[in-house]
Amino acid sequence: MQATATKICGRFHWLNGAHSLNYDLNPMAKLLIQFENGDPEKVIEFDPAKAPFHHDGKPGSILDVMLGHGVHLEHACGGNCACTTCHVIVKQGFNKLGESSEQEEDLLDKAPGLTPTSRLGCQAVIEDPDAEIVVVVPRYTINQVSEAAEE
Amino acid sequence: MTPDPPPAQAGKRAALNARVEKIFDHTPDTRSLFLSLTSGKHLRFVPGQFISITIPLGDETRSRPYSIASDPEDRGSFEICFNRVAGGRGVGWLFERRVGDLLDFSGPFGAFTLDQAPAAELGFIAEGTAIAPIRPMLKRALASSPASKIHLIYAASDRDHVLYVAELDALARSTPNFSCEIVIATADRIYDRLFALAQARWVTDNADRTRHFYICGVGKGVIRLRDLLRGAGYERRSVHYEQW
Repeated sequence: MQATATKICGRFHWLNGAHSLNYDLNPMAKLLIQFENGDPEKVIEFDPAKAPFHHDGKPGSILDVMLGHGVHLEHACGGNCACTTCHVIVKQGFNKLGESSEQEEDLLDKAPGLTPTSRLGCQAVIEDPDAEIVVVVPRYTINQVSEAAEE
Repeated sequence: MTPDPPPAQAGKRAALNARVEKIFDHTPDTRSLFLSLTSGKHLRFVPGQFISITIPLGDETRSRPYSIASDPEDRGSFEICFNRVAGGRGVGWLFERRVGDLLDFSGPFGAFTLDQAPAAELGFIAEGTAIAPIRPMLKRALASSPASKIHLIYAASDRDHVLYVAELDALARSTPNFSCEIVIATADRIYDRLFALAQARWVTDNADRTRHFYICGVGKGVIRLRDLLRGAGYERRSVHYEQW
């Protein structure tokens, strides 16, 4: 039987067949995503040097990492820093993210529920391979999209 | 790169569905689609907002933004306007749509909006199809702030690509407080011309710093215009812009 590997927290893989630890030599950044709407939280471990992981948002951004690992985050403008639907609140690791631009700050000014640690997911780049980032996806970011704008 | 995520994750949440009611070609490479909701209802939006259209590309879908070029007050269909761009697969798919085709989209979205005009002089700057969000903003400004002076500087690569020119001309003739300046320049010179005009109109020869600005265009030229106006002393929050 071929051993299957399931990634868990930390820098190792649990090998089902051998019941042994296989240490990964490459440093891995960690992104933990919590959803204010109650969806189960997700953990992504990734090597920032391998960015981009997807085609939207800055390479290595929170949006890029999430989409590239199958975790949805709204990005109505295509991840081009032209809306606020990828707004996330950074609970841990704010200083580990790349600096925000004036354009991002201008948009964040208009984001509902702005906090001192708000960022746009498409612009906040994780470069540090040791970074451990925790973000919350606000409820209104999700609702904003789901509500039909019809009358 | 890691493998693409499951398409269901990447492309979900298209919330609305529209039918192509009419197609209008401004030029061979610039088109408007007039869309109506299949629900029969009216799309509610604020001037300047965009919709995010779900575009199937092979085995995956992508969401791409298109500004709404019509007025929120228009009943029936709403309009998006776009042009062909080199390598633009999304817009290529849009050019293939025919009357009666259906589109999935979500929105409207966007913080680059003008709902109620501020009680100040307004400056609009647009280039090419970036007139799309400016058009309803301009008309809302004229309706909600009839006494304020409003000036539009609009640039295009040639006369054919000056969109809605008859409408702008009629507005300028019929509305004493509105003026419009059309700039024709080659693509590599458009932002230099816009920069020079904005500088002349609103920076060098005028000490008033109470104006509000709405700028829409493509690339770093938009940021240059933003920095020109903010650097000249206009309030940061009075200089609104959308960079495509």
